[in-house]
Amino acid sequence: MTAITASAPPAAPRLALGRTGTAIALLLPIALINAIGFILPVLNLLRMSFNEALAGGGVRETVTFENWTGLFGDSFYVELILNSITVSLSITLATLVVSYPIALYLHRSTGRWRTFLTVLVISPLLTSAVVRTYGWIALLADQGPIVSGIAALGFAPPRLMFNTTGVIIGLTEILMPYMILSLLAGFGRLDPRVEEAAMSLGAPPIKTFWRVILPLTVPGIALGCLLCFVLAVSSFITPKLLGGGRVFLLATEIYDQAIVTLNWPLAATLSMLVLIIFGAALAVYARILRAID
Amino acid sequence: MMHQTILSGSPTVSDDRDVHLRLDGLTKTYGNSVAVSALDLSVPKGELVALLGPSGCGKTTTLRMVAGLIQPTGGRIVVGSNDITAMPTYRRDMGLVFQSYALFPHMTVAKNVAFGLEMRSVPKAEIERRVKEALAMVRLEALAERKPRELSGGQQQRVALARALVIRPSILLLDEPLSNLDAKLRDEMRNEIRDIQQSLGITAVFVTHDQVEALSMCDKVVVMRAGKLEQVGTPIDVYEHPATPFVASFVGRTNRLEGRARGDGTVDVGPMSVRVPGRPGGNVEIMVRPHRIRLLDADAAQGASGEGTNLLSGRLTRVTFVGDLLQYQVDVGGTEIVVEAASDHGRGIRSVGSPVALAWRVEDTMVFGRSA
Repeated sequence: MTAITASAPPAAPRLALGRTGTAIALLLPIALINAIGFILPVLNLLRMSFNEALAGGGVRETVTFENWTGLFGDSFYVELILNSITVSLSITLATLVVSYPIALYLHRSTGRWRTFLTVLVISPLLTSAVVRTYGWIALLADQGPIVSGIAALGFAPPRLMFNTTGVIIGLTEILMPYMILSLLAGFGRLDPRVEEAAMSLGAPPIKTFWRVILPLTVPGIALGCLLCFVLAVSSFITPKLLGGGRVFLLATEIYDQAIVTLNWPLAATLSMLVLIIFGAALAVYARILRAID
Repeated sequence: MMHQTILSGSPTVSDDRDVHLRLDGLTKTYGNSVAVSALDLSVPKGELVALLGPSGCGKTTTLRMVAGLIQPTGGRIVVGSNDITAMPTYRRDMGLVFQSYALFPHMTVAKNVAFGLEMRSVPKAEIERRVKEALAMVRLEALAERKPRELSGGQQQRVALARALVIRPSILLLDEPLSNLDAKLRDEMRNEIRDIQQSLGITAVFVTHDQVEALSMCDKVVVMRAGKLEQVGTPIDVYEHPATPFVASFVGRTNRLEGRARGDGTVDVGPMSVRVPGRPGGNVEIMVRPHRIRLLDADAAQGASGEGTNLLSGRLTRVTFVGDLLQYQVDVGGTEIVVEAASDHGRGIRSVGSPVALAWRVEDTMVFGRSA
């Protein structure tokens, strides 16, 4: 009967913080890391984009808008920006088209088969993009199996490397795991019963797809496209290697300006531009999500 | 209609010209396990038929085969005089209502209901009119522009019903449509579905594991067990004259005693003797429904005895007050028997441990043969 009188265990020692205090304390580490590792450098880049580049890689601290105005006055850069966006959009679209059926199949498979397929989809991420790009160089080369295969069939051998085609092929494959995982994450609303309902109401498979399955997977499509577009715009190793110096994109140009030409203010300006493009992509994504809600 | 017999090659078609849906030896196996085994069933036009059974008895598999969502391993599905066994779902013209409602979450209520009509390329003006009618039928006109997730479960299921009925399907298939609703709503929807089915005169198949739904709503109850038909009959048939012990215990509650019949209308259950209808012999199972048994004080028992009455004495072991009912558990020579009586303001509850007598009419005793 003594159990009744036993008191509750002694309260754990508590820091004298309120709810808000605890929240701030918990957020502080990541906020600090983010501030030092991301926000400060970005602000630094922003500042750098208003500096003046000197010949031979020097930088003069000043406030000039020449980097920005020069960018939009130079047809090379305007074309570079437009080219970057179209190539990245093409890659995103190609990735979506080849990934969607795989993701849908994966979503519908069950048990061990599903686990196996998921591992298979993620496994390319275990290898670095550089290695996979070299793999594509071997495959797409003029003497490679694909080109010689096409030639053997009697067609004119196409050029699949050192041009935009090669960059799109390589990046599409490299980005597929991200797209498939995003699509899967967004397929939550897809209920097999809803598809069955559509069919029972007289919708053949194609109509069921367009009227029911596709609209319900828009969240996954939007997420995957955002992720792949951002990764495509910022990727530079694959375009550099598969483009063979003949495909000019924002990311490769930033590298060239920063490392080769040593024009840091221009590299900084281009970097800020990439950030602006990301912001625009995010805005479009948010709009899509709002529209379907 | 004479040539129908020749075309179908089956004599049963001409026998029941009113049969709307017919299953012929319908079978579904998955590897070595049999989900539905050679099922024969005829559903007359305009009837509401329940497929009743415990989970895993094959009732949902049967319904999904009728809907075309599962391809049968064997047998035929015939609607009218058309064999539709190989027809894809979208051409079958059947209205389907799911337990999980399965509304299109990205469409408004009106768009959900209009979907089937749009698939049939019905003119716009007519779609609008028929959607309105269908929503009026389920009393949801006011919610036409809402999205499904803004609706309660009952409202969602009514939309699903309107969506399935607006296409004027030849057959309405309902797969546990009330199981996700709370008890009060379930009673309401039960009546609503039955009323709509009656007023449209539509043939309907209703899958449920709930005997109350099957008995209260349906013209005919098909009790299934392990992929086979156990009994087909009217609700009263199935409840009052169960064909097998399984039906007796699944449809309604029941007390079960095992004994040996003497062949003279009595059965020895341990030291007791119970009178039963007819003159069965051999090993038997006896079943009596709890509400058919009267609980008497031990000393009042003598007066209740008579030619047509079984009388057993025992000891009360538990009393449960369930609101409208009192449930008594009585120990009769080591066997527990449950008795249900209407509760009268909780009055007259006997105390546990007191000696009591149980009385029920001989005709209320169900007897089934038992092997070994």
